Amino acid sequence: MPARVHDTRVIAREERAPGVMMVTIQAPALSAAVFPGQFVMAELPSGCAAAVALAIYDAYDDIVSLLFFITGPRTRELAALAAGDSLALLGPLGNGFDLRDAPADVAIAAGGVGIASVLLPARELVRRRSRVRLFYGARSAALLVERERFVQAGCEVTLATEDGSEGLRGYVTDALEASAPAKLLLACGPTPMLRAVAQIATRTRVPAQLCLEETFGCGVGGCWGCVVPVAATSPRAPRFPSNEAGISYARICREGPVFMAEELRW
Amino acid sequence: MVSAEDARDVDLSVRIGGLRLRYPTMMGSGCYGSGEEFARFADLARIGAIVLKSVTRLPRLGNPMPRIVHTPSGMLNAIGLQNPGIDWYLEHEIGKLAERPCAIIGSVAGFSVGEYVEVTQRLAERPEIDAIELNVSCPNVASEGETFACDSRATSEVVSAARAATRKPLIVKLSPNVTDITVIAREAESAGADALAVINTVRGMAIDVERARPRLGNVAGGLSGPAIRPIAVLAVYEAARAVRIPIIGQGGIASLSDALEFFLAGASAIGIGTANFTDPRVPERIVDGLAEHLAGQGARSISEIVGRANVGFADVHQYEGDAG
Repeated sequence: MPARVHDTRVIAREERAPGVMMVTIQAPALSAAVFPGQFVMAELPSGCAAAVALAIYDAYDDIVSLLFFITGPRTRELAALAAGDSLALLGPLGNGFDLRDAPADVAIAAGGVGIASVLLPARELVRRRSRVRLFYGARSAALLVERERFVQAGCEVTLATEDGSEGLRGYVTDALEASAPAKLLLACGPTPMLRAVAQIATRTRVPAQLCLEETFGCGVGGCWGCVVPVAATSPRAPRFPSNEAGISYARICREGPVFMAEELRW
Repeated sequence: MVSAEDARDVDLSVRIGGLRLRYPTMMGSGCYGSGEEFARFADLARIGAIVLKSVTRLPRLGNPMPRIVHTPSGMLNAIGLQNPGIDWYLEHEIGKLAERPCAIIGSVAGFSVGEYVEVTQRLAERPEIDAIELNVSCPNVASEGETFACDSRATSEVVSAARAATRKPLIVKLSPNVTDITVIAREAESAGADALAVINTVRGMAIDVERARPRLGNVAGGLSGPAIRPIAVLAVYEAARAVRIPIIGQGGIASLSDALEFFLAGASAIGIGTANFTDPRVPERIVDGLAEHLAGQGARSISEIVGRANVGFADVHQYEGDAG
């Protein structure tokens, strides 16, 4: 089903950790249309700034849940939504993860709010009988929200915290690197983490799909505000002349947000 | 109570040179892609025109990231005119526009008069293009970008040359980053512009205080959104008093009331840009709202309210006692 504006209603809002919000919404058509790795643009109730791009954390029955960090005034406004409030969501948007192969052994790396993009692919892969290992890192134990949900979904979960308050002390990529290579790697998190994941993928020759985070303008490909350098030969490179180095800029919101690690030239 | 029939009878059409737009709403250049990106969410038959993203003679990769920073009631952008260049554009992109149910306005950017002329001429000769907007005011490209719209002689030169290159309606998009917009507006009019788009973005900057670095890859950017609306309303008010050609008012329009401000200030049509990022249904809501509002006022056409708020400028009274 094509993306469109969904006028939805908030059912629940919960602060899962300091500054980490879960907003649950009744949105049957949206829930039915979502692919793992897609996102929505959430319209601010005040309407006085651009909509906010949010990962679709979960979608089942007629429910969609959005998990996000409060990072500024716009996300603070969304965090103030209460049960019963209406919320316009544009979506689902973006290409999502390519899970057609569903190999036997899949590793998923999530850093911080990146966890919000990987529950749906994890669940889908488990359903298709892949072994799914989640490597989940955050600054501290309190920010490792929703880990039990991944255990329930059938994932093997390895945790890492930068302050050592839980799991391995260090980055999630340290935990990933210390483990046996999988057949497919999915990752979502801050750009430095994704770069590190891309390096691990190259070194271990594992194909990696990276879900990129960026500040969006329109979220639908109209403004070219969220680009990433890709090889001009990439299937996701826009049909566009490339520069002398064979690089083209792809829109994260439109050609992404999921890219193969090897097509990125960042 | 305004009936739906009354609202339907209101004439919202507007004329820009020889081009008649069914609705007085134009989607701002650089905000709406080629229309395809938004056609999934918005009814393009209910807007007046799409102003395409600017095209230059040669391909441009654009500025480094980050290109967008959200600011209070607004947004800074510094895309840097990323576009495939006119050759590629004519070969691969332009054909897709034929199916759009609204007017299509090509936007031309450049770094020399010759480049504006070449791109204007090649774009305008295509049947898919109904009019040309000269983007002489992009704030996001190194040095030369905004020079044209900030210098009355350069404005005059580039507009005259582009005028000679096409008979299609010619819109000149003006920069707010000038001392007196009326000077530039008059130059553009006498050089042959059919309409003025007022305003482009306002130059701005944001700094990441933790990293002590500019937030935009390009350092400086253009501010849009409700934050610049009062600046735009005044620019339209001033420009409308200075010229006779129609003005397309734009800058932070997100609602019916915002739109009305611009018409009352003297705009014949409005541009909607960043508000599409808030909700792609904004342009339709504004059109519906205008029809209803005008019907409620007993007006038959949008032209009846254009410039209605024009009361000149208030005299500055000095009290005698203050004189010394």
